[in-house]
Amino acid sequence: MNTVTDQSSATAVRPSTAARVGIGGPVGSGKTALLEQLIPRFAARGTNLAVITNDIATREDAERVRRSGLIAPERVLAVETGACPHSAIREDPTLNMESADALDRKFSGLELILIESGGDNLASSFSLDLVDYWLFVIDVAGGDDIPRKRGLGVLSCDLLVINKTDLAPYVRVDLPRMVREANEVRRGKSVLLTNCATGEGVDAIVETIAREVLFDR
Amino acid sequence: MLRLTRVLGHATDPLIAESLHQLEHGGGVERIRLSRADTARKRLHAFTDRGTEVGIMLDRTEALANGAVLWLDDARAIVVALDEPQWLGLAPRDAAAALELGYFCGNMHWKVRFAGEYLHVSLEGPRDDYLVRLAHLVKSGAIRVIGDE
Repeated sequence: MNTVTDQSSATAVRPSTAARVGIGGPVGSGKTALLEQLIPRFAARGTNLAVITNDIATREDAERVRRSGLIAPERVLAVETGACPHSAIREDPTLNMESADALDRKFSGLELILIESGGDNLASSFSLDLVDYWLFVIDVAGGDDIPRKRGLGVLSCDLLVINKTDLAPYVRVDLPRMVREANEVRRGKSVLLTNCATGEGVDAIVETIAREVLFDR
Repeated sequence: MLRLTRVLGHATDPLIAESLHQLEHGGGVERIRLSRADTARKRLHAFTDRGTEVGIMLDRTEALANGAVLWLDDARAIVVALDEPQWLGLAPRDAAAALELGYFCGNMHWKVRFAGEYLHVSLEGPRDDYLVRLAHLVKSGAIRVIGDE
């Protein structure tokens, strides 16, 4: 039986701040597309949500999400990293932490903040000072050798997402081998497959995030 | 699932220590084993050493630490126990090798500590993964693995 019990019925309070989940990965792997698939699903399950996007010198991803109509525009903040995207999510995540704090202050009852990194490389990773849980998105069109190259992001993320699975036959990628090698290098840590163009596989990501950091059911 | 939303105190706090002592006799103390990296998280899904499923959800101002008490009642306590990292000891051959090793470890974003002529790398994953990355330095004789601690 899966029941939820509070810490102490007399004194327990829910945290006043939301869970923070990072979405990182190489340029073009589908981070923003995944975000656009996650937002309506979390909205449908009643999760009080906000979003932070990171870009190097523009606010393009934030504008794309705001224009999508999936979420109130004021719930989307943009961080311009100005330099290496991983600096703003790992070495000095101050800008992102301040943005997340601002969202927490502005939206009472906020439960989840999704923080999308700027496109980076296989060695990017999130500081756990910034996020509670993080996803790393790669795609089959980047090559089926990516997992076995053992990049820091692939190895150390909480959940590895292999996106664009529908493209495998067109880019001569052996998807079963790619998945097998991803599981081998990650030694049991989660790996999920998606096609963010259609939303296939995204429900499993929502369920995973809910199970790992929301604890609301 | 048990939701744990606050750090109630520390295992060494006198009143809590007395309660833990009493509960320990009856087998009522459960421990959540966490790596040092995981203690930075404010949200965490975990199981105690007795199989209790817990959802840790702390405010941003609170912090997990070794000995943090997250549940305490007449029958049970839940305490954080830190799994201390293991360290891989490396001995560079000379100053040039030391520079190369230091640069390499920094480039890999590894956590290290200095011990005189040796460098210790915090093992946050399987030891073999680190040795694979260091293989070129070992093979060239630039560094020597001096063991773990």
